[in-house]
Amino acid sequence: MTEAAIETAARDIRTAWETGKAIPAVRDSLPAGDVAAAYAVQSRNTRHWIATGRRPSGRKIGLTAKAVQKQLGVDQPDYGILYADMEVVDGDEIAAGRVLQPRAEAEIALVLEKDLTDRQLTLIDLIAATAYALPAIEVVGSRIANWDIKIVDTIADNASSGLYVLGTSPVTLDRIDLRLCGMSLEKKGEPVSVGAGLACLGNPLNAALWLARKMVDVGMPLKAGDTILTGALGPMAPIAPGDVIEARISGLGSVRAAFAA
Amino acid sequence: MANVVKIAETLDNAARHAEAIEQISNYDKMTLPEAYEVQRTLIRRRLDRGEKRVGMKMGFTSRAKMVQMGLSDLVWGRLTDQMVIEDGGVLAFKNYVHPRVEPEVAFLLKRPLGWPVTGAEALAAVEAVAPAMEIIDSRYKNFKFSLEDVVADNSSSSGFVVGPWQKADGDLTNLGMVLEFDGRPVQIGSSAAILGNPIRSLVAAARLTHEAEEGLQAGWIVMAGGATAAEALKPGVHVRHIVETLGFVSFTVSAG
Repeated sequence: MTEAAIETAARDIRTAWETGKAIPAVRDSLPAGDVAAAYAVQSRNTRHWIATGRRPSGRKIGLTAKAVQKQLGVDQPDYGILYADMEVVDGDEIAAGRVLQPRAEAEIALVLEKDLTDRQLTLIDLIAATAYALPAIEVVGSRIANWDIKIVDTIADNASSGLYVLGTSPVTLDRIDLRLCGMSLEKKGEPVSVGAGLACLGNPLNAALWLARKMVDVGMPLKAGDTILTGALGPMAPIAPGDVIEARISGLGSVRAAFAA
Repeated sequence: MANVVKIAETLDNAARHAEAIEQISNYDKMTLPEAYEVQRTLIRRRLDRGEKRVGMKMGFTSRAKMVQMGLSDLVWGRLTDQMVIEDGGVLAFKNYVHPRVEPEVAFLLKRPLGWPVTGAEALAAVEAVAPAMEIIDSRYKNFKFSLEDVVADNSSSSGFVVGPWQKADGDLTNLGMVLEFDGRPVQIGSSAAILGNPIRSLVAAARLTHEAEEGLQAGWIVMAGGATAAEALKPGVHVRHIVETLGFVSFTVSAG
């Protein structure tokens, strides 16, 4: 019964992703609040997409703000898979309709140079495995119509991931204050979302450590070369056709996303 | 024509006795220039009692504040020495109606600033910059007011605390800011929220004070405006504001 429901939800989400047509929430066909079932939907699609040739490039962490966790009635973040085809280069035009219902978040990306496969990972393991940080814009999206999501919907939908844009000047962790760094996401020169490093679970490294441990638990450990989008440093910003947005993160520089009209 | 002298007296007494009053606009129509005239008169009363003018504050400089207050204009107010709370000091809760705190940055001027002035000229007149907090305490019931009401009420200003001064030689446009109550973050933001860059607030301060025919004076402190929504103070709470690269400033609210 649940097995069939998981398969149906996974297929519906995949179809929405392929056709660009949003679907109703999937939570009603799955056990209420069942996070495990939601991840089962996500991993079914992960297997499918890897089998069809999509190359995983890392992970994203979602629900890293206390306010958003409260809104969705959860007490921990969630994760989704990043694929190489989700990467957009700095400032490159993003075609209309490439992401369903796009919104933007400014984040810190961490790039690993060592595998994180040990049981009982520590913060020091994470710092030692991190090559550098980059500023990032995550273009989130939802295959669920009107973003009518609860926790089960967003996890099943690969954590509402869409695209990501990375800055291009790597900064090592000893050169940046990850907790206090200011963030300003700007449109036409005006801040539309502001925040700081600690808005992401108190420190982006806290979120990344949660992810690294979780990935060991679920048998998909983080590997050298993986990109981690650690989570939003301020509120999600709406996107309209034609918008160009720029994320500035103190100590990390800036990165841009341009949306076709 | 609003009764400027009477309104100033009403607001001054409300502040002195920490008593909330009805909005002026409920029973007397003020224009914006009249509201600023009330503010000037109100501060004149305080100076006549021996207080000393030490600077000015900018208000509604962040989108979050404009949304919180339902307004869309910059406002300003006048600071006196009686409003100073020492860094690390105690705020006497009973002296306020319903105080809130805002994380800000403060500028100390080494030269007067008239108008017109460029951003570069404004920065050159800055002796030092510091992490700061403003205590805002509307004298109106329920913190509800029109633009004219709040301007007449010295733009809600009632206290300020300034941390260690330092040279303004770094990039001030995007400093992370966190306001903590008892060590826990309650507001997180960036100096970018202050008009995109706090120096723009200083330029706007020069313009607004020029229009009021006083200008900005050497030695004055300019509070650049809140970077986040304001947070309501509670008795006994320890409040700290940390600014990336600038350090921190703190005070404690008295128990009652």
